[in-house]
Amino acid sequence: MADPELVASVTGGGRLTAAEAVDVYRGGYPARLTGALGETYETCWRVLGDDGFFAAARGFIARFPSRSHDLSDYGAAFPEFLESLPVAKDAPYLGDLARFAWTFKELFHAKPHAGLEPALLAAQARPEAVLRLGGAVRLLCLRHRVYSLFRRDEKDETPVQEAEWKGEQRLILYKKEGNPIFVRELTAPEHAALTALAAGLPLADALAAAEGLDEAGARELFAFVSAAGLVTHIE
Amino acid sequence: MREDYPIALHGVSLSIGGVEGPRPGYLQKLKSLAARVDPFLITDHLCFTGTHASNTHDLLPLPYTEDAIATVSRNVAIAQDVLGRQIALENVSSYLSYRESAMTEWEFLIAVARRSGCRILLDVNNAYVSAINHRFSPETYVDAVPRDLVAQLHLGGYTDAGKFLFDTHSRAPTGPVWELYRRVIRRMPDKPVLIEWDEEVPEWSGLEAQAVRAAEIQREERERQPA
Repeated sequence: MADPELVASVTGGGRLTAAEAVDVYRGGYPARLTGALGETYETCWRVLGDDGFFAAARGFIARFPSRSHDLSDYGAAFPEFLESLPVAKDAPYLGDLARFAWTFKELFHAKPHAGLEPALLAAQARPEAVLRLGGAVRLLCLRHRVYSLFRRDEKDETPVQEAEWKGEQRLILYKKEGNPIFVRELTAPEHAALTALAAGLPLADALAAAEGLDEAGARELFAFVSAAGLVTHIE
Repeated sequence: MREDYPIALHGVSLSIGGVEGPRPGYLQKLKSLAARVDPFLITDHLCFTGTHASNTHDLLPLPYTEDAIATVSRNVAIAQDVLGRQIALENVSSYLSYRESAMTEWEFLIAVARRSGCRILLDVNNAYVSAINHRFSPETYVDAVPRDLVAQLHLGGYTDAGKFLFDTHSRAPTGPVWELYRRVIRRMPDKPVLIEWDEEVPEWSGLEAQAVRAAEIQREERERQPA
């Protein structure tokens, strides 16, 4: 209900009463935030259906006000909120699906970086070197395999099968200058190595942190890092 | 696009009427963007959008009072100081008015521009929507706005929501808005004009037709000007 003091301080436009006029603005707020959540978490919306998604959005909006000037910043805590809902018992992957969607959105808005030329990277990547990853790179380690669910055709209404989401998934999301977002699934050692690199460990230490990564695997990973332009400078 | 067209940066989040002032960091980001785009104009709305702790993402109307003029003027000074340039503020459509308002909407708009040193983005559709909603003359409104204060004109479409007119930007300007626009153009035929249509956006030809019509009215009224 609108604040009675506010209602008493205004007159309605057109044929609106003061309370109705205040409600025009009050109603706009959840509508805009629901729209923002719907844009970022479209795949979760498809899983939950209209009723489920709108109910989740209502609950979330009631607990989390929008603080940023940018509407697309709204909803960072939505993955954890979804996991707290009863529906997550039937769809335990929902939180990770939302986490992926948020990361994808973040990367969409991230400034593309210019990666080092492969030849330059190869020449300077000594064991003690620290390879700095660019700003348009995100690493994810998820408890459920949600990437294929994220990519699901929006017209595909077949129920989500357990086999589609069961098991962990490690991913890297990145974009090259002027290009769309790329997603690559990583092995556990690859993810460990890249996470260590992102944390600022020297190359040799990062590779050592990747338990189970043999020499061939390390070469393959380095070739990917180089071709994807993930490194922007070397220290 | 910037190589081929002049660009105006039009924001919705400056919250120039907010008592806390512009959000920390917002103006610096805007300044960086302006340095990149080199716009011919930076504009936002004469309204507030909430508090620093909670943003409504809406263009909330201000009371038309001396206090509000002082608040907006202080914030405009901050904004223009950081940006290093003059800005323009747009009149918003509104669906309520405050009992404490002590002047008309156009008196408020003009006083803000004169006292703060900013310019006016005159949205002809918004002037019409507010005039119908609050039962004043749209002609009196637009006639009162001094030509030298206006930096740009906006046109857009509203939706008749039954009990009030709702500024939706979801359709073409209506007949009365085109008439009001012609009235404005008669006094200021050389102002840049923008058609706003960001909901239920039509095919390009439908949007372009509005821009062509706006330009045609400008041309007609320019030709009618005494030499």
